Amino acid sequence: MSFGLEAVGLVRTFGGLRAVDGVSFQLQPGELLTVFGPNGAGKTTLLRMLAGVMRPNSGHVRVAGAPADVASRDWRHRVGIVSHQSLLYGQLTTEENLRFYGRLFRLDDLKTRIPERLASMGLSDRTRTPVRELSRGLKQRVALARALLHDPEVVLLDEPYTGLDPHASAVLREQLTSLKDGRRTVVLVTHNLKQGLELSDRVAIQVQGRFSSVTDSASLDLAELEALYQAAVENPA
Amino acid sequence: MRTYVTLVWAVTRKDLLVEFRTYERLTAMGAFAVLVGVLFNFSIDTAVVRPQDIAAALIWMTIIFGGMLGMGRTFRLEEEDGALAGILQSPIPLHALYLGKVLGNFILLSVMATLVFFVFGLFFSLSFSGNPVILVAIVGLGVLGFVSLTTLFSAMATRSSMGESLLPVLVFPLLVPVLVYGATATQRLFAGRPVVEVGGNLRMLAAFAIIFTVAGAGLFRFVIEE
Repeated sequence: MSFGLEAVGLVRTFGGLRAVDGVSFQLQPGELLTVFGPNGAGKTTLLRMLAGVMRPNSGHVRVAGAPADVASRDWRHRVGIVSHQSLLYGQLTTEENLRFYGRLFRLDDLKTRIPERLASMGLSDRTRTPVRELSRGLKQRVALARALLHDPEVVLLDEPYTGLDPHASAVLREQLTSLKDGRRTVVLVTHNLKQGLELSDRVAIQVQGRFSSVTDSASLDLAELEALYQAAVENPA
Repeated sequence: MRTYVTLVWAVTRKDLLVEFRTYERLTAMGAFAVLVGVLFNFSIDTAVVRPQDIAAALIWMTIIFGGMLGMGRTFRLEEEDGALAGILQSPIPLHALYLGKVLGNFILLSVMATLVFFVFGLFFSLSFSGNPVILVAIVGLGVLGFVSLTTLFSAMATRSSMGESLLPVLVFPLLVPVLVYGATATQRLFAGRPVVEVGGNLRMLAAFAIIFTVAGAGLFRFVIEE
């Protein structure tokens, strides 16, 4: 049986620091895992390894059953990433940014696909706006449109709410909710326990590079999650 | 093959589009070229030295130093809002990314080199009518060797704590052959020597351009991957 996303024994060190220390998990297609953790817990490093941007020292990732080797590039069609950085070029318009990434993903129906993606994010009137002129909230929606342009099966979200005001956060949350279509596997990394819990099927708490617990979110309310988080941070395994 | 060329061109096109929106690198390189041309024009005593005799060395020095100003920033833009991570997460082969960057830099530096020849031609009364095709070949191969090397090392320098300031330290020793063969061949053409006398230099420039480009394409992934 193949999982939507599978991480096995991922380890990444920087000098003597084990930023990610033996993380393993399996997600079914359609599942959303939220990873919480304090600053420096290794969450972003974990996500970069899942995205194939960073090579693990040991362990491996499988996307839809296929090995996600950093040196191999074809499996990247199946993964999209949204970061707290936009991963966009400020000098280019939203459409030019999407067109560029579309070409990198070898998509041949960009004339129809780009307007559709921008429309789904409520950005139809911003196609010719340079990204640097967009607000943080709009920029993050373009980033999401970029990540979904190639219709990936796995979506990785690294602190997507960073720097957003409450309204922009709410709009983005709506967009992220639409990712739960039963087909995509999603990993969300966030500090915000409430937002993370709302969206997730399972939650993990990462402390000092390790997953201290992985729990079904249906069995948790916010107070329980806060208690679990405090316990994990104060008494790391 | 067609897909590969499309990928390379996508990177080049994006780099040129960004550059022609800001003129950041072209302005820096162009201003340097004009400044050097003007300064040397006024500092050389034409009663003692014939400008044509030293023009080739000055032209190549200007191309190399001016080019360094622009090439050092090749990857700075990619790091600004994490765009490089976006590219690395895409399925583009890393050698295609490198070649796209090299091609973009080649076009920008060729524009700058044209300006350098124009400025020095104007101030130093140089004639390029003798063997213009050979001259273009010499400059083209020299520029290709230069950008192949600096694009690779620029990626390395951007990721180091010293940033752009590290680039000249890494690159200058390796650029000596390009500089020597390029300046010598250009000087011989300016002096009206027969084309056969620059054949060897041209072959050496071609060899360095090919070696640097192929090696750069092969080594790029070790520089850019984390």
